[in-house]
Amino acid sequence: MSRKALLASTALLASLTLGMAGAQTYTGPKVTLTYLHGFTGPDRPVMESLVKKFNDANPNIQVRAQAQPWGTTWQQLPSLVASGRAPDVVVINEDQITAFIARGAVSPLTAAEMKAAGIDKSRFFGPLFQTADYKGQSYGLPISSVAYAMFYNKDLMKKVGLDPNKPPRNRAEFLAAAQKCTVDKSGKNSTEAGFDPKNLDTWGVSLYNNWVGARAAYAAILQNGGAMVDKDQNAAFNSPQAVSAVQFLVDLVQKHRVARPNSTEEAELAAFSQGKVCFFPSGQWYLDRFEQQKMNFGVTFMPRIGGTARDAAWGGSSHVTLPKQRAGYDANKRRAALAFMAWLSQPAQNLTWTSTGSLPTQAAVAKNAQFAKAPISGIFDRLDSVYATSGYPWVGQVMGPFDQAWEAAYLGKKTVAQALNDGVREANKQIEQARKNFK
Amino acid sequence: MTITQAPGKTTTTQAPAPRPRVNLEPYLYLLPHALLFFVFTVYPVGYGIYIATHRWDLLAETQAFVGSEYFRNLFTPGTPQFEFFWRTLINTAFFTVVTVPLLVASSLGLAVLLHRPIFGRTFFRAVFFMPGILTVSVMGILWRWMFDNQIGLVNAARELMTGAGPIPWLSTEGLAWIPIVVGTVWWTVGFNMTLYLAALSNVSQSLYEAASLDGATSGQQFRYITWPMLGPITLFVTVTTALASFQLFGQSLVITNGGPSRSTQSVTQYITEEAFTNSQYSSAAAMGFVFGLFMLVLTAAQFRIMARDVQAVEQK
Repeated sequence: MSRKALLASTALLASLTLGMAGAQTYTGPKVTLTYLHGFTGPDRPVMESLVKKFNDANPNIQVRAQAQPWGTTWQQLPSLVASGRAPDVVVINEDQITAFIARGAVSPLTAAEMKAAGIDKSRFFGPLFQTADYKGQSYGLPISSVAYAMFYNKDLMKKVGLDPNKPPRNRAEFLAAAQKCTVDKSGKNSTEAGFDPKNLDTWGVSLYNNWVGARAAYAAILQNGGAMVDKDQNAAFNSPQAVSAVQFLVDLVQKHRVARPNSTEEAELAAFSQGKVCFFPSGQWYLDRFEQQKMNFGVTFMPRIGGTARDAAWGGSSHVTLPKQRAGYDANKRRAALAFMAWLSQPAQNLTWTSTGSLPTQAAVAKNAQFAKAPISGIFDRLDSVYATSGYPWVGQVMGPFDQAWEAAYLGKKTVAQALNDGVREANKQIEQARKNFK
Repeated sequence: MTITQAPGKTTTTQAPAPRPRVNLEPYLYLLPHALLFFVFTVYPVGYGIYIATHRWDLLAETQAFVGSEYFRNLFTPGTPQFEFFWRTLINTAFFTVVTVPLLVASSLGLAVLLHRPIFGRTFFRAVFFMPGILTVSVMGILWRWMFDNQIGLVNAARELMTGAGPIPWLSTEGLAWIPIVVGTVWWTVGFNMTLYLAALSNVSQSLYEAASLDGATSGQQFRYITWPMLGPITLFVTVTTALASFQLFGQSLVITNGGPSRSTQSVTQYITEEAFTNSQYSSAAAMGFVFGLFMLVLTAAQFRIMARDVQAVEQK
């Protein structure tokens, strides 16, 4: 074993022990817990093996896991809670969680409970943990996460004279690099006279018009100090910061012509796979695909193209939560459920879970030696700047119109300001109605 | 009828008093269906009315009665429901008006061709029937790829033949309907074709023989024998196709996701969005009722018009 590896494994051991140190084991009578989650794909066996491991190690807690599609859970959870048949533990995703919290379907985790179960929230990436916070209380622990990242083609960057090991980090660097990458079929660069944007051979960046594409605009707005909603939780993605951030993205298409107009996610994905695009910002879930293609690519955090206020990228997450139960619910079950949640979110388990393609939910796991050479570790230095669409109960009412606004702006059907203003107006009309359901 | 028994006293020894004869038997036969009808139709419709007239949320402690508020939203300019419900309803109606004639005509045409003893008949029947077994997501992805703005086969073929640049099918209002309509026809023509084939084999050959003896051309034979004899099946195909087209959902969801700017969003898609994305279940229920009413009126009208034609033919 080399010195480096030895050091790394010692560090891993230390981090695992640290994670364990605070955890209390459940000592009450034997209980059976029902656990509902939506990991129904290739991640299902990983979750099942984790549950089995927990059951084997905790003879007085038996967790019965049930996997079912997320959508089914969102439809069933209210009636299960209302009728007192809610599962003891349920996993809820970032875009749904605040609505369930606001409707009273989930119960808060008190500071005392978390302490007793050995849950230390500072262990998790801050914004990720706060995804399940609402009005000053915490409701769940993040066990799985995905995020927007920027893939870059090293070969193409080298070809156009860029340093393939130095992806751009700010707006100026990004634009300069994208312009170099954009070359027409006669070999003219996008900054040269006679450049023909209709016959591109390669280009700078992939932008497109579905919801995934809209998440680039979301990140840009946050980077510029903007936000999706204001302090009253009304839609506010038409602030001057937001307009200026989105304008830069639209300019990449319409003014600088370093991105293709009218493109689709499939077309850009194919183009990046074929080595025609330098930068492909999208979900980190495409990693697998590029690795299998044996491309010479890198992954980096979204550069600050929207503004300089902060680093930001969109992310999604899944949180283990405790549904609201009927009066007289067995206190032992709640303690056991907290013990299970604490165990599931520990570094060792989170490390196992990353084999499903999930990102680490905590710094201790991100530091693990197994990621040292993995391309995905290119975004690990800024995982604490991943922001989910959460914190307000009407995520659908805000993100739906936002996606429409991005589409209209990207396709050039409306000016950026017009598109965002229209989106905010529509969102706020819908929020006004939704408010009546959340007292 | 007189009551001969003392109240509260049950006797089995007395001779039975004359009773009104209620024959239970037919009701017993009806019971299984009636039960299912009540459980799966009457009860859900009743509960739906409750949802649509209350501010309904299973988790809420109180579900305030709001009367017709959610219905009024649909008829009040300025509300999102007014704007999007009618726009998506018009989208859906447009889709129906375009696809129904296409689907009826193409399935009839194919059936007439494949009814003849031509070479490879079974093979071609299979070719046209097979797409129908695909799920809507597979079919949708296929046609989205075919019409992709940049890498689609349709644009590639067009460029090869005419040298023209790509057309942004998926992101141009109006054009975005083409992949949806073409895909739907390709996907569902086989089922209607099979119905027509079955109906064609029921048309007596003696009619054609008699007609050809009288010197009728094949065009005339179709006009005066085939088409009228297929009247009832055409009615069936038209009504079922129209109903299916009105329930457009998966095709536009997968191919265009309702875009650009909701121009291909169907009314069922919007109702689903209102319920499950916006959590406005009561509003969605109200829209469901108004939409259901539309379908009912439409189907009734269609039946009346077409049934009259069929009867007229049969009386001739």
